[in-house]
Amino acid sequence: MLKTLIAFVIAVVAGAIVGSVIQTQFNLAALIELSVPISFDVRISTIIHDLIHFSPIFALLLAVVLLIALPIAALCSRKLGGAERWWFISAGFFGLLCCFVIVNYVAPMPTLIAATRSWEGMGAMALTGAFAGWIFDRLWHPLPRELAEPLI
Amino acid sequence: MKKLIFSLMLGALFHSAWASNEVKVEVVAEGLSFPWSLQQLPAEQGGWLVTERGGRLLHIADDGSVNTIPLQLPELFVTGQSGLFEVTLAPDFESSRELLLSYACGSLSANTTCLARARLSANAPYETSEVKQIFAAQPLRKGAAHYGGRMTWLPDGTLLLTLGDGFDYREQAQNLNNHLGKVVRLQRDGSVATDNPFPDKAAGYIFSYGHRNSQGIVYDAARDVIWQHEHGPKGGDEINRLQAGKNYGWPIASYGIDYTGAMVTPYQDLPGVIQPMYQWTPSLAPSDMALYKGDLFAQWQGDLLVSHLAGKRVQRLRLNEGTWQLEQTIEVDNKARIRAVEVARDGAVWLATDAAEGKILRLSPTGSESRR
Repeated sequence: MLKTLIAFVIAVVAGAIVGSVIQTQFNLAALIELSVPISFDVRISTIIHDLIHFSPIFALLLAVVLLIALPIAALCSRKLGGAERWWFISAGFFGLLCCFVIVNYVAPMPTLIAATRSWEGMGAMALTGAFAGWIFDRLWHPLPRELAEPLI
Repeated sequence: MKKLIFSLMLGALFHSAWASNEVKVEVVAEGLSFPWSLQQLPAEQGGWLVTERGGRLLHIADDGSVNTIPLQLPELFVTGQSGLFEVTLAPDFESSRELLLSYACGSLSANTTCLARARLSANAPYETSEVKQIFAAQPLRKGAAHYGGRMTWLPDGTLLLTLGDGFDYREQAQNLNNHLGKVVRLQRDGSVATDNPFPDKAAGYIFSYGHRNSQGIVYDAARDVIWQHEHGPKGGDEINRLQAGKNYGWPIASYGIDYTGAMVTPYQDLPGVIQPMYQWTPSLAPSDMALYKGDLFAQWQGDLLVSHLAGKRVQRLRLNEGTWQLEQTIEVDNKARIRAVEVARDGAVWLATDAAEGKILRLSPTGSESRR
């Protein structure tokens, strides 16, 4: 149980950090298109700002998504077969996609996370769910073969 | 020292309480559904026109009785923040009986801010006729947020209309090829004002750009200045001195951040961007603005009255050595959200509360005569 909890928390934190950094790049890219100068220092300070102020909210969304999606993925893996890893990766990706759609429907503003206004942005942010699913699988009960794979 | 600080704090507290107590609040009418704007009619005892976001135009007589004025706006779109916004009278209303109404038109997948002209009958019970859409901001957009919709007349008879950025299209506030996030200047028939600063862009309508969602604009005749305010995101609501052709920064420069905590822009100031004259962080959500001129509150001449939604208050600001300074905060009706503020000819201040059971309130000095 403790192992599951630790794997879950690390997956959420890792996903939230990567997601935060990705959405910062989309927001800065939109400004660069408007000819706003973004130096390396400004980019780093914006990333840090968003890690402090944006990632907690994103972590909360991601945690809710994974709490629902990962058990479903584990169940599917047992009932339907197939590699558990790919079930978890898919669960994180499609779970976040559904989450963005639902949140935008429920929230008063048309789009909660500005980076998800475009399909590319939404896809990139959903990939952080896939990443979190992969991390969870790797930490929870990875196959010896998976552990032997190089990380990068 | 501690005692001194304590007594200073206590003094400030009592001053604030006293400042609120000098204002008397009367309920003029209640049971209105999300009233959005107030417009006094020029005739003596002529009453007021009030819009409701749901699309109704109302007449409120001086005795407080409320009557619906039939109105069919072309393509009116009501949901979320969209609906009927402001009503204003043409400068020659007494002879022409002409009204201008700003509203959202279209559908959820394709809508925008529109302007319609209508004629109001001379006598009660009032009716409207010759209702015609005379302007539609371009392009149409999805969603139902950030329409602007406030208007003010300039001395040359042209009209300024504020427009929002449509929320999801914030970068377009910097694009001079459309009307998103702009203030536009028109003739009263909806045609373009001839001497606007960008005659070759977006049909020539743009007066200023880089706005997020502006719901307050007044022309200050005594100072010959246009004051405008706009909602920031999380923080960064602004009061601006509006000038033709200027860039007010959204979304490349802002004191606010996104609702999620993400940074919209790393800059509060950039070359070529006009700085706000006053900014609210955290946001109070300014919803309307009026310039005080009247007899009842003799000390308020030339002050700005700003109503707030999330802030649930009216603030009075005074221009002091080129900057706006907060002079007074007024909370009414158990801290109601306030959608509109207007100064009546007698110097009383009228407010509309933002609620499904909205109220029209009249503020006057404590001890002054009541309305009826």
